[in-house]
Amino acid sequence: MSDSDPSNPPEWNPASPHKRSGLPGTGDLSRRLMDDMDPEVLEFLKNTVNSFIKWDLVIFFFENPHTTDTIDNIARYIGRDALVIKSDLDDLVRSGVLEQHSTGNLTVYSLTKDAQVREKIKHFVSASDDRQFRVKAIYHLIRGTR
Amino acid sequence: MERIKTGILGLDDMLNGGYLNQSANLVEGAPGTGKSTLGMQFIYNGITQFNQPGLILTFEEFAQQYYDDAANFGWNFRALEKANKLRVIMTSPEVSYSDLGNVDGRIEAMIKEIGAQRILVDSLSHFDRLSDDPIERRGMLYGFINSLKREGLTSLLTRESNALIGELENPEEDVAFVADSFVMLRYVEIESAVRKALLVLKQRGSNHAKDIRQYEITRNGIEVQAKFEGREGIMSGSPRRMADSFVEAFVRR
Repeated sequence: MSDSDPSNPPEWNPASPHKRSGLPGTGDLSRRLMDDMDPEVLEFLKNTVNSFIKWDLVIFFFENPHTTDTIDNIARYIGRDALVIKSDLDDLVRSGVLEQHSTGNLTVYSLTKDAQVREKIKHFVSASDDRQFRVKAIYHLIRGTR
Repeated sequence: MERIKTGILGLDDMLNGGYLNQSANLVEGAPGTGKSTLGMQFIYNGITQFNQPGLILTFEEFAQQYYDDAANFGWNFRALEKANKLRVIMTSPEVSYSDLGNVDGRIEAMIKEIGAQRILVDSLSHFDRLSDDPIERRGMLYGFINSLKREGLTSLLTRESNALIGELENPEEDVAFVADSFVMLRYVEIESAVRKALLVLKQRGSNHAKDIRQYEITRNGIEVQAKFEGREGIMSGSPRRMADSFVEAFVRR
Protein backbone atom coordinates (compact mmCIF):
# COMPACT_ATOMS: atom_id res chain seq x y z
CA MET A 1 0.00 0.00 0.00
CA SER A 2 1.10 3.56 -0.62
CA ASP A 3 1.91 5.56 2.47
CA SER A 4 -0.11 8.51 1.13
CA ASP A 5 -3.82 8.76 1.73
CA PRO A 6 -5.43 7.68 -1.53
CA SER A 7 -8.48 9.82 -0.89
CA ASN A 8 -6.38 12.94 -0.53
CA PRO A 9 -3.83 12.84 -3.34
CA PRO A 10 -1.16 15.50 -3.97
CA GLU A 11 -1.84 18.15 -6.57
CA TRP A 12 -0.84 17.63 -10.18
CA ASN A 13 2.83 18.56 -10.60
CA PRO A 14 4.31 18.44 -14.11
CA ALA A 15 7.79 18.49 -12.67
CA SER A 16 7.30 15.12 -10.99
CA PRO A 17 5.21 13.02 -13.39
CA HIS A 18 5.61 9.82 -11.38
CA LYS A 19 3.80 11.36 -8.47
CA ARG A 20 0.85 12.73 -10.35
CA SER A 21 -2.54 11.60 -9.26
CA GLY A 22 -4.79 13.25 -11.79
CA LEU A 23 -4.80 14.50 -15.35
CA PRO A 24 -3.90 18.12 -16.11
CA GLY A 25 -6.96 20.20 -16.60
CA THR A 26 -9.33 17.46 -15.43
CA GLY A 27 -8.95 17.93 -11.69
CA ASP A 28 -8.60 14.95 -9.39
CA LEU A 29 -10.01 12.04 -11.38
CA SER A 30 -9.95 9.71 -8.45
CA ARG A 31 -11.82 12.12 -6.24
CA ARG A 32 -14.39 12.74 -8.93
CA LEU A 33 -14.82 9.02 -9.40
CA MET A 34 -15.38 8.49 -5.72
CA ASP A 35 -17.64 11.49 -5.22
CA ASP A 36 -20.82 9.70 -6.19
CA MET A 37 -19.99 6.56 -4.23
CA ASP A 38 -22.02 5.69 -1.15
CA PRO A 39 -19.95 7.16 1.73
CA GLU A 40 -20.35 4.04 3.86
CA VAL A 41 -19.20 1.77 1.05
CA LEU A 42 -16.35 4.13 0.21
CA GLU A 43 -15.23 4.17 3.83
CA PHE A 44 -15.34 0.35 3.91
CA LEU A 45 -13.35 0.20 0.69
CA LYS A 46 -10.74 2.67 1.87
CA ASN A 47 -10.27 1.38 5.37
CA THR A 48 -11.14 -2.30 5.26
CA VAL A 49 -11.12 -3.81 1.78
CA ASN A 50 -8.09 -1.89 0.61
CA SER A 51 -6.43 -4.67 -1.38
CA PHE A 52 -7.52 -7.13 -4.03
CA ILE A 53 -6.82 -10.06 -1.73
CA LYS A 54 -9.02 -8.59 0.98
CA TRP A 55 -11.72 -8.07 -1.61
CA ASP A 56 -11.46 -11.75 -2.60
CA LEU A 57 -11.55 -12.81 1.05
CA VAL A 58 -14.56 -10.63 1.89
CA ILE A 59 -16.48 -11.98 -1.11
CA PHE A 60 -15.52 -15.54 -0.19
CA PHE A 61 -16.68 -15.25 3.41
CA PHE A 62 -19.83 -13.40 2.38
CA GLU A 63 -20.74 -16.26 0.03
CA ASN A 64 -19.67 -18.91 2.55
CA PRO A 65 -20.68 -17.32 5.85
CA HIS A 66 -20.42 -20.55 7.83
CA THR A 67 -16.90 -21.42 6.73
CA THR A 68 -14.35 -21.98 9.43
CA ASP A 69 -10.97 -23.01 8.12
CA THR A 70 -7.21 -22.76 8.21
CA ILE A 71 -5.17 -20.27 6.25
CA ASP A 72 -3.93 -23.00 3.90
CA ASN A 73 -7.43 -24.12 3.00
CA ILE A 74 -8.80 -20.59 2.68
CA ALA A 75 -5.92 -19.77 0.34
CA ARG A 76 -6.84 -22.82 -1.73
CA TYR A 77 -10.50 -21.81 -1.84
CA ILE A 78 -9.69 -18.39 -3.29
CA GLY A 79 -6.92 -19.73 -5.50
CA ARG A 80 -4.01 -17.94 -3.86
CA ASP A 81 -0.92 -18.81 -1.87
CA ALA A 82 -1.16 -19.01 1.93
CA LEU A 83 1.90 -16.82 2.39
CA VAL A 84 0.39 -14.17 0.14
CA ILE A 85 -2.91 -13.92 2.01
CA LYS A 86 -1.56 -14.10 5.57
CA SER A 87 -1.18 -10.38 6.24
CA ASP A 88 -4.51 -9.51 4.58
CA LEU A 89 -6.29 -12.19 6.57
CA ASP A 90 -4.79 -10.79 9.78
CA ASP A 91 -5.78 -7.24 8.75
CA LEU A 92 -9.37 -8.40 8.30
CA VAL A 93 -9.26 -9.92 11.78
CA ARG A 94 -7.97 -6.61 13.19
CA SER A 95 -10.68 -4.66 11.36
CA GLY A 96 -13.37 -6.95 12.79
CA VAL A 97 -14.48 -8.56 9.52
CA LEU A 98 -13.11 -11.97 10.48
CA GLU A 99 -12.53 -13.82 13.72
CA GLN A 100 -9.52 -15.94 14.48
CA HIS A 101 -9.68 -18.77 16.95
CA SER A 102 -8.18 -22.13 17.76
CA THR A 103 -9.60 -25.60 17.46
CA GLY A 104 -7.28 -28.28 18.75
CA ASN A 105 -3.88 -27.29 17.42
CA LEU A 106 -5.31 -25.51 14.37
CA THR A 107 -5.71 -21.77 13.94
CA VAL A 108 -8.88 -21.09 11.99
CA TYR A 109 -10.70 -18.09 10.59
CA SER A 110 -14.39 -17.39 10.20
CA LEU A 111 -16.70 -14.49 9.46
CA THR A 112 -17.55 -12.19 12.33
CA LYS A 113 -20.87 -12.71 14.06
CA ASP A 114 -21.25 -8.95 14.52
CA ALA A 115 -24.50 -8.09 12.73
CA GLN A 116 -23.44 -4.50 11.98
CA VAL A 117 -20.21 -5.56 10.31
CA ARG A 118 -22.06 -8.25 8.38
CA GLU A 119 -24.48 -5.60 7.15
CA LYS A 120 -21.58 -3.45 5.95
CA ILE A 121 -20.14 -6.43 4.11
CA LYS A 122 -23.50 -7.13 2.53
CA HIS A 123 -23.74 -3.51 1.46
CA PHE A 124 -20.25 -3.60 -0.04
CA VAL A 125 -20.81 -6.90 -1.88
CA SER A 126 -24.11 -5.67 -3.18
CA ALA A 127 -22.42 -2.51 -4.50
CA SER A 128 -19.73 -4.71 -6.09
CA ASP A 129 -22.37 -6.24 -8.32
CA ASP A 130 -22.44 -2.96 -10.21
CA ARG A 131 -19.82 -2.72 -12.97
CA GLN A 132 -19.37 1.04 -12.56
CA PHE A 133 -18.68 0.57 -8.88
CA ARG A 134 -16.14 -2.17 -9.60
CA VAL A 135 -14.30 0.02 -12.11
CA LYS A 136 -14.06 2.84 -9.60
CA ALA A 137 -13.08 0.55 -6.75
CA ILE A 138 -10.41 -1.15 -8.84
CA TYR A 139 -9.03 2.23 -9.84
CA HIS A 140 -8.97 3.20 -6.20
CA LEU A 141 -7.17 0.00 -5.18
CA ILE A 142 -4.62 0.30 -7.97
CA ARG A 143 -3.84 3.84 -6.89
CA GLY A 144 -3.55 2.64 -3.32
CA THR A 145 -0.95 0.05 -4.24
CA ARG A 146 1.31 2.51 -6.09
CA MET B 1 -37.60 -48.59 15.71
CA GLU B 2 -37.64 -44.93 14.70
CA ARG B 3 -37.00 -44.34 11.01
CA ILE B 4 -35.60 -41.25 9.35
CA LYS B 5 -37.25 -41.18 5.97
CA THR B 6 -35.29 -39.92 3.00
CA GLY B 7 -38.52 -38.96 1.26
CA ILE B 8 -36.95 -40.26 -1.96
CA LEU B 9 -39.35 -42.18 -4.13
CA GLY B 10 -38.54 -45.88 -3.91
CA LEU B 11 -35.53 -45.57 -1.62
CA ASP B 12 -37.40 -45.65 1.69
CA ASP B 13 -39.04 -48.90 0.60
CA MET B 14 -35.62 -50.37 -0.10
CA LEU B 15 -34.47 -49.21 3.35
CA ASN B 16 -37.46 -50.87 5.00
CA GLY B 17 -38.97 -47.51 5.89
CA GLY B 18 -35.90 -45.26 6.01
CA TYR B 19 -32.58 -44.92 7.79
CA LEU B 20 -32.31 -45.71 11.46
CA ASN B 21 -32.32 -42.72 13.77
CA GLN B 22 -28.82 -41.33 14.53
CA SER B 23 -27.19 -43.69 12.10
CA ALA B 24 -24.31 -43.02 9.69
CA ASN B 25 -25.17 -43.88 6.14
CA LEU B 26 -22.71 -44.16 3.31
CA VAL B 27 -23.59 -43.46 -0.32
CA GLU B 28 -20.83 -44.34 -2.73
CA GLY B 29 -20.65 -43.81 -6.45
CA ALA B 30 -18.70 -42.52 -9.41
CA PRO B 31 -18.82 -38.84 -10.42
CA GLY B 32 -22.21 -37.94 -11.84
CA THR B 33 -24.11 -40.81 -10.30
CA GLY B 34 -26.02 -38.38 -8.08
CA LYS B 35 -24.46 -38.79 -4.62
CA SER B 36 -24.68 -35.09 -3.78
CA THR B 37 -28.16 -34.85 -5.30
CA LEU B 38 -29.31 -37.75 -3.14
CA GLY B 39 -27.74 -36.07 -0.12
CA MET B 40 -29.30 -32.69 -0.85
CA GLN B 41 -32.66 -34.38 -1.34
CA PHE B 42 -32.28 -36.14 2.00
CA ILE B 43 -31.68 -32.76 3.66
CA TYR B 44 -34.35 -30.88 1.69
CA ASN B 45 -37.04 -33.50 2.28
CA GLY B 46 -36.08 -33.67 5.94
CA ILE B 47 -36.73 -29.96 6.34
CA THR B 48 -39.78 -29.58 4.14
CA GLN B 49 -41.57 -32.89 4.71
CA PHE B 50 -40.52 -33.96 8.19
CA ASN B 51 -39.60 -30.67 9.89
CA GLN B 52 -36.07 -31.89 10.61
CA PRO B 53 -33.50 -29.12 10.09
CA GLY B 54 -30.22 -30.11 8.52
CA LEU B 55 -26.61 -29.22 7.86
CA ILE B 56 -24.55 -29.68 4.74
CA LEU B 57 -20.87 -30.06 5.47
CA THR B 58 -18.99 -29.70 2.21
CA PHE B 59 -15.31 -30.34 1.69
CA GLU B 60 -15.16 -29.52 -2.00
CA GLU B 61 -17.95 -27.35 -3.37
CA PHE B 62 -18.68 -23.75 -2.42
CA ALA B 63 -22.01 -23.08 -0.73
CA GLN B 64 -23.03 -21.17 -3.83
CA GLN B 65 -22.74 -24.37 -5.86
CA TYR B 66 -25.24 -26.10 -3.57
CA TYR B 67 -27.67 -23.19 -3.80
CA ASP B 68 -27.46 -23.32 -7.59
CA ASP B 69 -27.65 -27.11 -7.86
CA ALA B 70 -30.57 -27.23 -5.46
CA ALA B 71 -32.36 -24.47 -7.36
CA ASN B 72 -32.24 -26.67 -10.48
CA PHE B 73 -34.53 -29.08 -8.67
CA GLY B 74 -36.73 -26.29 -7.33
CA TRP B 75 -35.26 -26.48 -3.82
CA ASN B 76 -34.68 -23.03 -2.37
CA PHE B 77 -31.75 -23.54 0.00
CA ARG B 78 -31.23 -19.81 0.52
CA ALA B 79 -34.75 -19.47 1.88
CA LEU B 80 -34.22 -22.47 4.16
CA GLU B 81 -31.01 -20.89 5.49
CA LYS B 82 -32.83 -17.65 6.15
CA ALA B 83 -35.51 -19.60 7.99
CA ASN B 84 -32.77 -21.17 10.16
CA LYS B 85 -33.63 -24.65 8.94
CA LEU B 86 -30.40 -25.22 7.01
CA ARG B 87 -26.72 -24.40 7.18
CA VAL B 88 -24.32 -25.02 4.33
CA ILE B 89 -20.83 -25.14 5.82
CA MET B 90 -17.81 -25.19 3.58
CA THR B 91 -14.80 -26.37 5.52
CA SER B 92 -12.13 -29.05 5.55
CA PRO B 93 -12.05 -32.53 7.09
CA GLU B 94 -9.23 -31.59 9.46
CA VAL B 95 -11.08 -28.57 10.83
CA SER B 96 -14.42 -30.36 11.17
CA TYR B 97 -12.76 -33.36 12.80
CA SER B 98 -11.00 -31.11 15.28
CA ASP B 99 -14.02 -28.85 15.77
CA LEU B 100 -16.37 -31.72 16.59
CA GLY B 101 -13.73 -33.36 18.75
CA ASN B 102 -13.51 -30.32 21.01
CA VAL B 103 -16.04 -28.82 23.36
CA ASP B 104 -18.18 -25.90 22.14
CA GLY B 105 -17.01 -26.05 18.56
CA ARG B 106 -18.56 -24.00 15.79
CA ILE B 107 -20.27 -26.91 14.11
CA GLU B 108 -21.78 -28.05 17.38
CA ALA B 109 -23.03 -24.49 17.93
CA MET B 110 -24.71 -24.48 14.51
CA ILE B 111 -26.31 -27.86 15.18
CA LYS B 112 -27.81 -26.47 18.38
CA GLU B 113 -28.70 -23.14 16.80
CA ILE B 114 -31.03 -24.66 14.20
CA GLY B 115 -31.84 -27.90 16.01
CA ALA B 116 -30.33 -29.97 13.22
CA GLN B 117 -31.30 -33.62 13.05
CA ARG B 118 -29.75 -34.49 9.70
CA ILE B 119 -26.40 -33.89 8.10
CA LEU B 120 -24.92 -34.41 4.66
CA VAL B 121 -21.14 -34.81 4.62
CA ASP B 122 -19.89 -34.36 1.06
CA SER B 123 -17.56 -36.10 0.75
CA LEU B 124 -15.71 -38.47 3.05
CA SER B 125 -13.13 -39.08 0.31
CA HIS B 126 -11.36 -35.94 1.51
CA PHE B 127 -10.45 -37.68 4.75
CA ASP B 128 -7.99 -39.67 2.67
CA ARG B 129 -5.57 -36.74 2.73
CA LEU B 130 -5.43 -36.61 6.52
CA SER B 131 -3.27 -39.67 6.90
CA ASP B 132 -1.44 -42.17 4.75
CA ASP B 133 -1.98 -44.82 7.40
CA PRO B 134 -5.27 -46.65 6.73
CA ILE B 135 -5.62 -47.68 10.37
CA GLU B 136 -5.19 -44.12 11.62
CA ARG B 137 -7.56 -42.89 8.93
CA ARG B 138 -10.19 -45.40 9.87
CA GLY B 139 -9.82 -44.31 13.50
CA MET B 140 -10.37 -40.69 12.50
CA LEU B 141 -13.44 -41.60 10.46
CA TYR B 142 -14.79 -43.64 13.32
CA GLY B 143 -14.30 -40.70 15.71
CA PHE B 144 -15.84 -38.27 13.24
CA ILE B 145 -18.90 -40.46 12.63
CA ASN B 146 -19.38 -41.00 16.34
CA SER B 147 -19.24 -37.26 16.97
CA LEU B 148 -22.13 -36.84 14.51
CA LYS B 149 -24.09 -39.52 16.37
CA ARG B 150 -23.26 -37.87 19.69
CA GLU B 151 -24.91 -34.70 18.38
CA GLY B 152 -28.04 -36.70 17.58
CA LEU B 153 -27.62 -36.45 13.83
CA THR B 154 -28.62 -38.96 11.20
CA SER B 155 -25.90 -38.59 8.63
CA LEU B 156 -25.61 -39.24 4.95
CA LEU B 157 -21.97 -39.55 3.99
CA THR B 158 -20.92 -39.53 0.35
CA ARG B 159 -17.79 -41.13 -1.02
CA GLU B 160 -16.28 -41.07 -4.47
CA SER B 161 -15.72 -44.26 -6.34
CA ASN B 162 -12.89 -44.27 -8.85
CA ALA B 163 -14.46 -46.91 -11.05
CA LEU B 164 -16.96 -45.50 -13.50
CA ILE B 165 -18.29 -48.94 -14.27
CA GLY B 166 -17.59 -52.19 -12.49
CA GLU B 167 -16.26 -53.61 -9.26
CA LEU B 168 -14.40 -51.74 -6.58
CA GLU B 169 -11.03 -51.52 -4.99
CA ASN B 170 -9.33 -51.52 -1.57
CA PRO B 171 -12.04 -53.19 0.48
CA GLU B 172 -9.72 -53.31 3.51
CA GLU B 173 -9.77 -49.51 3.73
CA ASP B 174 -13.47 -49.32 3.25
CA VAL B 175 -15.37 -46.88 5.37
CA ALA B 176 -18.32 -49.22 4.82
CA PHE B 177 -17.06 -51.00 7.94
CA VAL B 178 -17.78 -48.00 10.14
CA ALA B 179 -21.00 -46.90 8.42
CA ASP B 180 -24.36 -48.33 9.51
CA SER B 181 -25.70 -48.57 6.00
CA PHE B 182 -24.14 -48.66 2.59
CA VAL B 183 -25.81 -47.67 -0.67
CA MET B 184 -23.90 -48.16 -3.91
CA LEU B 185 -24.65 -46.15 -7.03
CA ARG B 186 -23.31 -47.56 -10.28
CA TYR B 187 -23.36 -46.95 -13.99
CA VAL B 188 -24.34 -50.02 -15.97
CA GLU B 189 -24.21 -50.60 -19.68
CA ILE B 190 -27.27 -52.26 -21.16
CA GLU B 191 -27.73 -52.56 -24.90
CA SER B 192 -25.31 -49.74 -25.67
CA ALA B 193 -26.91 -47.35 -23.23
CA VAL B 194 -25.65 -46.26 -19.82
CA ARG B 195 -28.16 -46.53 -17.02
CA LYS B 196 -27.87 -46.03 -13.30
CA ALA B 197 -28.25 -48.75 -10.70
CA LEU B 198 -28.72 -48.54 -6.93
CA LEU B 199 -28.12 -51.27 -4.37
CA VAL B 200 -28.52 -51.23 -0.61
CA LEU B 201 -25.54 -53.35 0.30
CA LYS B 202 -26.07 -53.31 4.04
CA GLN B 203 -28.19 -51.78 6.76
CA ARG B 204 -27.07 -52.63 10.24
CA GLY B 205 -29.88 -53.71 12.55
CA SER B 206 -32.54 -53.73 9.88
CA ASN B 207 -33.81 -55.62 6.93
CA HIS B 208 -33.47 -54.03 3.50
CA ALA B 209 -34.16 -54.77 -0.15
CA LYS B 210 -31.58 -57.02 -1.75
CA ASP B 211 -32.43 -56.33 -5.37
CA ILE B 212 -30.72 -53.87 -7.67
CA ARG B 213 -32.91 -51.04 -8.85
CA GLN B 214 -32.69 -48.58 -11.68
CA TYR B 215 -32.90 -44.94 -10.79
CA GLU B 216 -32.98 -41.65 -12.61
CA ILE B 217 -32.13 -38.10 -11.76
CA THR B 218 -35.28 -36.27 -12.76
CA ARG B 219 -36.17 -32.59 -12.46
CA ASN B 220 -37.58 -33.46 -9.01
CA GLY B 221 -34.42 -35.21 -7.85
CA ILE B 222 -33.65 -38.90 -7.62
CA GLU B 223 -36.39 -41.42 -8.29
CA VAL B 224 -35.74 -45.09 -7.68
CA GLN B 225 -37.56 -47.26 -10.17
CA ALA B 226 -38.05 -50.92 -10.98
CA LYS B 227 -35.43 -53.58 -10.46
CA PHE B 228 -33.41 -54.87 -13.39
CA GLU B 229 -35.44 -57.83 -14.58
CA GLY B 230 -33.91 -60.83 -16.29
CA ARG B 231 -30.30 -59.66 -15.99
CA GLU B 232 -27.39 -60.54 -13.80
CA GLY B 233 -23.97 -59.09 -13.16
CA ILE B 234 -25.50 -55.60 -12.91
CA MET B 235 -22.92 -54.28 -10.46
CA SER B 236 -20.11 -55.52 -12.67
CA GLY B 237 -21.17 -52.74 -15.01
CA SER B 238 -21.83 -55.09 -17.93
CA PRO B 239 -24.89 -57.17 -17.11
CA ARG B 240 -25.81 -60.22 -19.12
CA ARG B 241 -29.18 -61.63 -19.83
CA MET B 242 -29.83 -64.46 -17.39
CA ALA B 243 -30.67 -66.71 -20.33
CA ASP B 244 -27.16 -66.10 -21.74
CA SER B 245 -25.61 -67.02 -18.40
CA PHE B 246 -27.70 -70.17 -18.28
CA VAL B 247 -26.46 -71.15 -21.74
CA GLU B 248 -22.86 -70.35 -20.74
CA ALA B 249 -23.14 -72.34 -17.52
CA PHE B 250 -24.98 -75.40 -18.70
CA VAL B 251 -25.52 -75.73 -22.43
CA ARG B 252 -21.95 -74.98 -23.56
CA ARG B 253 -20.32 -77.27 -21.03
